[in-house]
Amino acid sequence: MTDEPILEVEHLSVTLDDVHVLRDVSFHLNRGGAVAVIGPNGAGKTMLFRALLGLVPYTGKVVWQPGIKIGYVPQGFNVDRSAPITAMEFFLLLSPAFWRPPGSFANHLDQELRLVGLDRRILKKNLGELSGGETQRLLIAWALFGYSDVLLLDEPTAGVDIGFEHTLYELLHSIQTDRGTSLLVISHDLNVVYRRAQHVVCLNQTIVCQGPPVETLNAAALTSLYGETGYYLHDHEPEQEKKCTHPITRLSGSAC
Amino acid sequence: MHTPYHAPFWIGLLVGIASGSIGPFILLRRMALVGDALSHVALPGIALALMYHVDPFYGVVVFLIAAALVIFWLEGRSRIPTDAIVGLLFTASLAIGILLIPNEDVIESLFGAFPVLSLQFLLMILLAAAVLSTLCYLMTRQFLFRIISTDLAKVNGFGRRYDLALLLIFSMIVALGIKLVGTLLMGALTIIPASIAKNISRSMRAYVLLSSVLGGVISTAGVWIGETFRLLPGATIVLLGIALFLLSLPVARKYAR
Repeated sequence: MTDEPILEVEHLSVTLDDVHVLRDVSFHLNRGGAVAVIGPNGAGKTMLFRALLGLVPYTGKVVWQPGIKIGYVPQGFNVDRSAPITAMEFFLLLSPAFWRPPGSFANHLDQELRLVGLDRRILKKNLGELSGGETQRLLIAWALFGYSDVLLLDEPTAGVDIGFEHTLYELLHSIQTDRGTSLLVISHDLNVVYRRAQHVVCLNQTIVCQGPPVETLNAAALTSLYGETGYYLHDHEPEQEKKCTHPITRLSGSAC
Repeated sequence: MHTPYHAPFWIGLLVGIASGSIGPFILLRRMALVGDALSHVALPGIALALMYHVDPFYGVVVFLIAAALVIFWLEGRSRIPTDAIVGLLFTASLAIGILLIPNEDVIESLFGAFPVLSLQFLLMILLAAAVLSTLCYLMTRQFLFRIISTDLAKVNGFGRRYDLALLLIFSMIVALGIKLVGTLLMGALTIIPASIAKNISRSMRAYVLLSSVLGGVISTAGVWIGETFRLLPGATIVLLGIALFLLSLPVARKYAR
């Protein structure tokens, strides 16, 4: 990670139909860094991503480093089940030669599919037929395929099994190290945030707290973010969580 | 019935292919009904052109492009119920058109006829149909991107201008077919080949190709049947297409997953 900011956000506000969805949000993401965004449902996390990507109107400043490639992994998508679109064609959207892709395309694709634990047979499947977990893995492979400088992941583990949850965060970590990809991740998994992110942004319409997770994620901050019952704070480390360096875990539990 | 240069066959073939090429995108964008209503806007265009003694084709082109721009504008306004407004606006233009068009031209405007054209005019229509079909193929990737996810498309640099391109290409193809098929039925010609092909295709590339081929085949076969039995070409083409659609349903069921 360098101190060179790849994204700078200053006083970002989003108002939709006269409702303030986000107010005065400021933070930055350094090249090769990992920032996690946490917050309760309806806090405006997805809206923050949409604003950063220019998908909704906003006020304030969003400055991306010029010429960088952004990969976006939304929370799934709804494709008409009857639409004859194969998973392969979903990847071909990334190739200018949509009708006649070069042979190297398939090889490169194989590699990215293996990373997310998908078999190449999935490429022949109809896009609308895939399960939620398969779609999520496919979207991640799709974002990786473009060799983005920065990945925006909106709850990437939603709908996937525990095993893949763990694999995914290992994978993201290795991409960050090997490819120098910067990560901006919306996550409900405080353990992962705690161990993997260099910076955490606690959001509830506006920024409630931000900073390095070790200093930021304390009981007071989490209570003001989620309320008294929204998270679980261990008084002591349970046996299965000894590997964890911090006693915070989500109420529903997670692979630590 | 003799028409110079076999114009109906050539128009049937090339405009049929063009209709088949754009149809999959219109269907998958769930714009089938908007597309159908759009062709009605051609009617006041025909009326005005007849009043000013201009070839109705030019009136059709101007009105359809204007209609495409109106739909594009409406789609960008989330608070306006697009379907209701399109329904009202386009039915109104149908009503205005009927009142303005001289009685002897009404049936031809609504349901088409075997067109008698100069060679120059025919070649212009054929060339335009070929160019528009080619554009559909060249822009398949961009159109598909926007069908799958407008957000992902925009992040990858394919913004709303591709929605506008789709609407404009669509309205131009409708304009090219109106002389043969008529304002009421031309919208259907763009939907029918795509509906059949959707039942029997497993990939988008196969879908677009098959829909184009079916568009050409149904239109030329419809023209041939119409000529042989002295039937209106538009109605014959549409009914033939719908018959094929019904035949394709068992295949769709077999493919049903």
